[in-house]
Amino acid sequence: MKAEQTQYTPVIHVSPAPHLSSRDLTTRKMMRDVLLGLSPVVFMALYVFHWYAVKQLMICLLGCLAAEALFMKMRAKSATLNDYSAAVTGIILALSLPGAAPWYIGVIASVVAIGMGKVVFGGIGMNIFNPAMVGRAFVMIAFAGAMGAPGYEQIHATVDVITRATPMDAFKQTGAVASLDSLFWGLTNGSLGETSALACILGGLYLCVRRTASWQIPAGTVVTAAALAGIANLVHPESNWTALHHLLGGSLLFGAFFIATDPVTSPLTPKGKFIFGIGVGFFVMVLRLFSGYPEGVMFAVLLMNGVTPLINHWTIPRPLGAIP
Amino acid sequence: MAVAPTPAERFIQGILPENPVYRQLLGLCPTLAVTNGLQAALTMAGAVAFVLFCANIVTSTIRHLLKPHLRIVIFTLIIATFVTITDRFLAAYMYGMSKLLGPYIPLIIVNCIIICRCEVCASRQSVFAAGADALGQATGFALALVSIAAVRELLGSGMLFSVQVLPESWPNWVIMILPPGAFMTLGLLVGAVNWFEQRRSEQAESERG
Amino acid sequence: MSMKPLHPMEPIEPGKLERLKRNYLVQAWLVLMLALFFGAALAGVHLELAPKIAANKTNETYVKIPEIILGSELAEELAQQGEALIVEPHTVAVEKEQRRIVYTIYEASYPDGKLAGWVAKSSGQGYADKIELLIGFTPSVDTLTGIFVLDQKETPGLGNKIITLDWRQQFSNLKTLQPIEVTKGGASDPNQVDAITGATISSRSVTGIVNNAVADLRGPLTAMANARGK
Repeated sequence: MKAEQTQYTPVIHVSPAPHLSSRDLTTRKMMRDVLLGLSPVVFMALYVFHWYAVKQLMICLLGCLAAEALFMKMRAKSATLNDYSAAVTGIILALSLPGAAPWYIGVIASVVAIGMGKVVFGGIGMNIFNPAMVGRAFVMIAFAGAMGAPGYEQIHATVDVITRATPMDAFKQTGAVASLDSLFWGLTNGSLGETSALACILGGLYLCVRRTASWQIPAGTVVTAAALAGIANLVHPESNWTALHHLLGGSLLFGAFFIATDPVTSPLTPKGKFIFGIGVGFFVMVLRLFSGYPEGVMFAVLLMNGVTPLINHWTIPRPLGAIP
Repeated sequence: MAVAPTPAERFIQGILPENPVYRQLLGLCPTLAVTNGLQAALTMAGAVAFVLFCANIVTSTIRHLLKPHLRIVIFTLIIATFVTITDRFLAAYMYGMSKLLGPYIPLIIVNCIIICRCEVCASRQSVFAAGADALGQATGFALALVSIAAVRELLGSGMLFSVQVLPESWPNWVIMILPPGAFMTLGLLVGAVNWFEQRRSEQAESERG
Repeated sequence: MSMKPLHPMEPIEPGKLERLKRNYLVQAWLVLMLALFFGAALAGVHLELAPKIAANKTNETYVKIPEIILGSELAEELAQQGEALIVEPHTVAVEKEQRRIVYTIYEASYPDGKLAGWVAKSSGQGYADKIELLIGFTPSVDTLTGIFVLDQKETPGLGNKIITLDWRQQFSNLKTLQPIEVTKGGASDPNQVDAITGATISSRSVTGIVNNAVADLRGPLTAMANARGK
C-alpha cells in the first residue's frame, strides 16, 4: 500500500485537510460584498464630485457590462453578467479615473479592461493583471493629456474642487502641502474614489472583516509605504509632505483595500499576500519619490500582479512533517 | 503525402493560410518596429519582397550545386548581397525613408522569413515554384505589415499615409504609436486571423465529410 | 620475415583526387565564386549610387546647418524672415600621426556677412557601423553649438537613441578646451554628457568622434576665424 502511494504523483492539487466547501462562498456573493464595501467610497465620490461622478460611474459600469456581454458572446460562452464581476471592474475603474475625463476615456478603458484585461486570458479567474488597472493603464498612456494633471484640473468645471490641482500634483509642481484634514475627509481633487481616506478605510475594513479581502495585502502595503515615507522624511526633514500625507493622500488606501486585494490577481497564501502587499507599498513609494508621475499605485499593482505566479511558487505551504 | 502544390497554389498559400507573420510568426522584429505608419510599412514590405524574390530565384538556380554543410553560408551571402543593394538604393532614391527605417533595412539580412523560404522551398524546388513561393510569402508579409500599420496609424494619429482621414476632433490614441500598441495590435490580429482560418478549415472539413 | 604485419584499423591512404575533393577551398568553391561575383556586383552598385547618396547627405547637411549653429528656434525665426545663412564649404587637412585626415568644413555667415559659426563633418566607428556626425562650433571655436547624426546603424531602441534631440542637446554649449567625458547617471561637470542607458559604447563613440574632431580642428578653425576677422 505504502509503495503504491509513492509511485503516483498526485494529479489533483489539494491542500491538506480539512476540506470544507461552502455554499456561501460564490463569486457572486463575494462580488456583492465588494460592491457593499465600495459603497462609502461611491457615496463620497457622489458627494464631492456630483454629476461628474454620476456620469463617469454610469459610463464605466455600462461599458464594462456591455463589453462583458459582447466578448462572452464572441467566445460562445454564457454571459457571466450576473456574477457582478464586470460591475465591480466598472465601478473600480470609474473610481480610479478623473471625474472630468471625457466620455470616450471611460468607454475605451472599459472595453480594454474587460477585453484585454480579462477575456483574452480566458475570462474571470484566469487573468494575470487586474482588469480595471489594465484599462486605466491603457488610457493613461494613450491619452496622457486627459489623464495627467491637466485632465484633473479644469478651470471651467461646475464643481469647485475640480478647478483646483490635485494634492499630489500641487505638491510636485509648487510644493504646496494640503491639510491632513482635507485629505482625511476627502474634500480635494483627484480620481473619483481616492480623495477620501475615511471612506476607503471604512469600506476596506468591512471587506477585511468579512474576509472578502485578505487583510495581509492592505496591511503589507500600508506598513511598507509608511516605513519608506518615514525614511524619506528622515532624509529630507525639510519637506512638509509627511509620512501621513503619503498615507492619506493619493490613491494608496483605495489601491491597497480595493485594487490590490483582487483575489484573482494576488497570491493565494497568507505569506504570499503579505509579500505582495509589501511589494505594492514599495513600488508605490519608489514611483512617488523617484519617477515623473505624481502617483504610482496603478503601476505598482500591475507590476506585482506580474510576479504573483512567482510569489505563489515560493510560498507553497509545506504539509506538516514534510521534508524540505 | 499529397501531390506537390502547383506554383499558383504556393502563391495562394503564402497570402493567408501560411502567412509569414500571422500564421508562422516569423519576421516579427520589423513587424513590430516599422508599423507605426503605412509609408514605412509599405517600404519595408517592398524591400523584403525584392530581397525574398531575388534570393529565392538565385538559390533555386544553384540548388544542385549546394553542399548540405555550406548551404546556410550561401543563403546568407545571397541575402546579404540583395539587402545591401536595397539599402543603397533606398539611400540614393528615398533618402528620407532610408533614414526613417535606419538599421531595419540592413537587419533584413537576419529576417528569418527569407532564410526560411530559401531552406524549405527554394533549395529544393524549381525556379518557377521558388518564384511563386517568394511572391506569395512577400504578399502575405506586405498584407500583415499594412494591416497592422493601418490600425496603428489610424487610431494613433487619425491618419492614413500621413493624410488626416479622421476628423480633427479625434483624440489620438498615443499608445498605438508606441511599442505597446504594436504588441497589442499584432496579438489581436493574430487572434483574429487564427479564428478566421479555424472557421474556414472547419467549413472545408464539413464539406468534405 | 620482412613483411609488415597488417594492422586492421590503419586507414587506407586516400588517392590524390580524393584528397583534392576534401580540400576546404575546393569544398567551398561555390561560396568563393558567389562571393567574388556578388562583391563585383556590389562594387558596381556602389559606383553607380555613391554620388547620389553623397549628394543626398550634402543636401541634408545644408538643411541642418542653421539648426546646428543657431538652435531650432532661432533657425526657424530666420527662415520665417525669408532669410538663410550663407554656407561656404571648405576642406581642412590635418596631419596626425603620419596620417592626413581631410575634414569638410562649412562656414556659415549671416546675410549681412557676419560669421555665424562653423560646422564640421566627421565620422568614426560606432558599435555597429560607422557613425557620421555634423559638429557645430561658435565663430570663436571655443564652444560647441550642437551635433547632428547624419548616418548611423546602431542598435534600435538602445544605441540609436543618439539621434534623439534630448541626448544630442547635451553637447550644446560645451566648451572645446577640454575633452568631453561620458558618465553614467547624472552628468555634473560642465564637460560631461550622460551615457544612454544600455548603450555606453554608442555614447562613447559619438563623444570620441566629437573629441577627435575638436582636437584636430580647434587650431585650423581658429586660424580661419582670425584670418576672416582681418
